[in-house]
Amino acid sequence: MFFRMLIESFVRRRSRKLLAVAAVWIGLSLVIGLLALGLDVGDKLNREMRSFGANIQLQPAEAAVDVRVGGYELVAPGRTVYLDEADLPRLKQIFWRNNILAFAPRLTTQARLAGRSVPLVGTWFNHHVLLEDADPFVTGAAEVFPYWQARGAWPMNPESCLVGAALAQELDLGPGDRVELTTDQRSTSVRIVGVLTSGKDEDEAIVAPLSVVQRLAGLPGKVAEVQIAALTTPENKLAERYGRDPQSLTPAEYERWVCTPYPGSVAADIQNAVPGSSARVVRRVAETQGAVLGRIDGLMLLLGIFVLIASTLSIMGVLSSAVLERRGEVALLQAVGAHRADVLRLFLTEAVAIGLAGGVLAALTGQVLGGWLLRVIFDSASEPHGVLLILAPLLGLLIAVAASVPPVWRTVHQQAARLLRGV
Amino acid sequence: MNQSAVLLEYVTRAYPGGVRAVDGVNLKIALGEWVALMGPSGSGKTTLLNLLDGLDRPTDGCVHVMGQNLLQLDVDEAATFRRENVGLIFQQFHLVSYLTAVENVMLAQYYHSMVDKQEALLALERVQLADRAHHLPSQLSGGEQQRVCIARALINDPKIILADEPTGNLDEDNADRVVKIFQRLHREGRTLVIATHDPDLGRLAQRIVCLRHGQIVEECSPDGSDAAPRATGAGASHDRDVMHVTAS
Repeated sequence: MFFRMLIESFVRRRSRKLLAVAAVWIGLSLVIGLLALGLDVGDKLNREMRSFGANIQLQPAEAAVDVRVGGYELVAPGRTVYLDEADLPRLKQIFWRNNILAFAPRLTTQARLAGRSVPLVGTWFNHHVLLEDADPFVTGAAEVFPYWQARGAWPMNPESCLVGAALAQELDLGPGDRVELTTDQRSTSVRIVGVLTSGKDEDEAIVAPLSVVQRLAGLPGKVAEVQIAALTTPENKLAERYGRDPQSLTPAEYERWVCTPYPGSVAADIQNAVPGSSARVVRRVAETQGAVLGRIDGLMLLLGIFVLIASTLSIMGVLSSAVLERRGEVALLQAVGAHRADVLRLFLTEAVAIGLAGGVLAALTGQVLGGWLLRVIFDSASEPHGVLLILAPLLGLLIAVAASVPPVWRTVHQQAARLLRGV
Repeated sequence: MNQSAVLLEYVTRAYPGGVRAVDGVNLKIALGEWVALMGPSGSGKTTLLNLLDGLDRPTDGCVHVMGQNLLQLDVDEAATFRRENVGLIFQQFHLVSYLTAVENVMLAQYYHSMVDKQEALLALERVQLADRAHHLPSQLSGGEQQRVCIARALINDPKIILADEPTGNLDEDNADRVVKIFQRLHREGRTLVIATHDPDLGRLAQRIVCLRHGQIVEECSPDGSDAAPRATGAGASHDRDVMHVTAS
């Protein structure tokens, strides 16, 4: 009889029940949509903030340590150390390989051009990094430094190069011009395909494919440094403690540090992978990204809490009034012999069914809503979040039960006689 | 006391603000007796019925029904007492809107013991509603709904039937049908306490208890031959106020 009452209540009062399910569905869809957006927004913002440039810099270990004693440099003068270009594919084989969004090596030397010495910068352009058991990883300066603007084209072969905007103006050079670059070792002729504006030193340099500069510098297969754009998590107190004193972390905390993509832990992973290297977090970039992401996360959390409260209140309003309009039925059940627990069980089972139905629908539409917001704001597609498929029905159930218990509880504790008389 | 179905002693039901819906009532009803509670609106008839079925509690006095002191029962114990002993008939019928006639009858079975659809159909047949068993309350006339309410009240074979204006919302034909059901129940030996405005229904009772301002102002037999008009009140002695008029 219990299930008959339950089923008939849904079948024969379906418009009321549909209204209640719709209240849960719509209210929770907003919450789930916001949560879906919140789960993706950090990642998307992080990618957007690659425009700040690289946040990790990889250098030869010896070059990174500037050891001076009594004013004397301990590295022998004239001795420069380099990294091997052949080791760079290891960056995409580390634990945090999926967080490595782009990287570009750099080798700098001086070349003579039109009778004067100009900086010559070598890097990758649209470089295919060959990986074992994976598709080639395409990366280069344009990916690491999204703020680089090339008027013309990017160099796609060893006979082409970019000229910095300031140098181009000074020497009256432009796309299509051929220039002769000469170093102590060699000389080569390259065609300028674009004028580069970086806002930095490159504006006064010739920027050419890495292989060109390696040949001219007589350093085949060598790079001076690697700029890396990595997806990282804003540093928190744990990361700050590690930065101050790694020994202060307990084994469990260290484990958590290692397993979280803090800039420091990603840098440490990179350093371990590339022999003779030292990975350094570019604090200015990492901290700016961290501060922005931290604020966005806080904003999303606050927004999520407000939407959750607003939705919960509106759902509770609908469900509570649905229960209150059945006070006469509650009194009747008690009049024919139902205990308070019997009445509570009936109404709570209804609430569970309504909450679950609304929650399941909200799990689907909420994710669609979140995906739509992500597409509108970031022009990017979202992945379904399994956790929301579980969270939404659970939230629906909790809210529906929380909304139903107080009015049913109050009703079963009121004078049934008064309720039957409609007082 | 062993022979009484109802024993009220100095029963008062006062509401906040000082209104006394029932004021110092003493009343004894014998097993198998048919008593009509009559009086103007607001005289305390419905409140008195609610005190008898345990849906309401007196602010003073004692209520014994079928030998049970209802003041000793909490809300759930009172519900258990009701389903074991009392059949309730309401003026507004109070049927569950989304259950059919037979399901409404089965509802009382469910909370009493176990559901038996055949028995519920039989109960509807007894009130001449077998052909309307699978209709929703909204598809039934007032008289039919009242008969479903009666079938529900009778399904668990209650010892006492409390009816509040059972013919109040019915036309003459339907009222006659309901009256005949009550007569049959009385012949079967059930105790009936019926609050009514209907003098025709009141005349069928063995005893009429007249209420005014929450007090019993008169008790008499319907034919007037052994009428016992009397005033009762909170200040009257117990022996005088507890009055048992045997069936004529």
